[in-house]
Amino acid sequence: MSGRQRRTFVVFGFTTTHAALAAEQLLKDLGVPVTPIPSPKSLGGALCGIALRLDPVDAARAEILLERVELAVAARGEIEDV
Amino acid sequence: MPGPTPRPVAYLDHGATSWPKPQQVVDAVVRALTDLGGNPGRGAYAMALDASRAIFEARRTCAELLGVPDSRDLLFQPGCTAGCNLMLKGVLKPGDRVVVGSMEHNAVARPLEHLARLGVEVVVVNADSTGLVDPDDVERQVRAAPARAVVCQHASNLTGTVQLIGDLADIAHEHGALMLVDGAQGAGHLDIDISALGADAYATSGHKGMLGPQGVGLLYLAPDLDAQTQIEGGTGGGGSESPDMPPERPDRYEAGTANTPGVVGLGAAAAFVAAEGPEQRRREAELTRRLHEGILEIEGFHVLGPPPGVPRVPIVSAVHDRVDADRIAFALDRTYGIAARAGLHCAPWAHRTIGTIDCGAIRFGVGWSNSEEHVELALRALQEIVSS
Ligand SMILES: Cc1ncc(COP(=O)(O)O)c(C=O)c1O
Repeated sequence: MSGRQRRTFVVFGFTTTHAALAAEQLLKDLGVPVTPIPSPKSLGGALCGIALRLDPVDAARAEILLERVELAVAARGEIEDV
Repeated sequence: MPGPTPRPVAYLDHGATSWPKPQQVVDAVVRALTDLGGNPGRGAYAMALDASRAIFEARRTCAELLGVPDSRDLLFQPGCTAGCNLMLKGVLKPGDRVVVGSMEHNAVARPLEHLARLGVEVVVVNADSTGLVDPDDVERQVRAAPARAVVCQHASNLTGTVQLIGDLADIAHEHGALMLVDGAQGAGHLDIDISALGADAYATSGHKGMLGPQGVGLLYLAPDLDAQTQIEGGTGGGGSESPDMPPERPDRYEAGTANTPGVVGLGAAAAFVAAEGPEQRRREAELTRRLHEGILEIEGFHVLGPPPGVPRVPIVSAVHDRVDADRIAFALDRTYGIAARAGLHCAPWAHRTIGTIDCGAIRFGVGWSNSEEHVELALRALQEIVSS
């Protein structure tokens, strides 16, 4: 077993791939690092297949930025890095 | 084995479909088939993500070109015909009344005939002899009784007439009706800003003036227009267990695997049109005018639609006093290698309006790939065909 510490990330889920990719582009353009990942089952709900993974320190600001352009985050959760 | 059919010397059928396509479009289609292999919207592995991103970008490029503020409202459809079906059948219900111009293509006429059989009242407003639908005539009809929608093409595929969509939209909205537009012959050939036009729905082809591949078209639906879906099916993602289509656009109206090569090709085409559009439209207008005036100089020919000097999309249709349109088209092809189309052009309503339903017409569609030589060759050929 590795002794590497697991990191916790925030995950945003979206209802359409279009919204997920629009959010990815907007956040990257504004300097918020995000990584698209397959939507984790734990987010539940009617989400598209792509979710965005963020560092927890960026999450609150990112959510505000997305709301401003009416790109609502449909689900929010946390996952541990694997 | 016989060799390949020789390519036309002069391709003058851009009204049916544009040819050739800009190299950027060909390259984009090849790239889609080569590198964007994953199923867009159906996976988050790298290649599927690349395909999803390419479709996302293509939608934005098309939206920017056509003046659609939020690209989610611009839907990829299999073609303009599919888009027209959705905007008509998704909106009009039995008992509704709809006012429509008489120049419509079958992409609008047939869905409306179908809806009429289901109980939609279809009121046809006759265009004048140049193919123009007079907004005053439409106003009289929407004033006479409540209408759910005014339907009109942006430009005629027979006469090239450009309809006064802005005025029609104002009239429709003043009377609480929607403005639904078939823009198959408009997009690419006209400088279009859908928001400024006031259309509540605007359908168009991807393969005509937009210069994209066949098999893809666009439909704009205003954000507050809730059209009934016509196709239900898979949209990927975690909403799959729901029996209903998701409410969110674009997914609501794009069930099934996307046409990645078509959409990506159309995105590249829209970028090309955005860059080259103004210069291209100026050249098309010049060539169209030369062709129009040249045909009028040949004895026995009558050109349909507005006279020279009145704006038209780059379409010139004509009839001859003695020689049938099909004979002219055949001779143009066989003797001169000129591609042009005879017949009714899927627009019997328009031919009836103009008075050419029994004889049809020979139609030339000018486009981005045409030169003065093509036009001069066509004029010489027409002169020889009707003199022989
Ligand atoms: C005015 C008009 N509407 C609709 C269409 C249908 O377009 P598509 O064949 O791309 O579906 C055409 C093309 O033929 C057209 O000219």
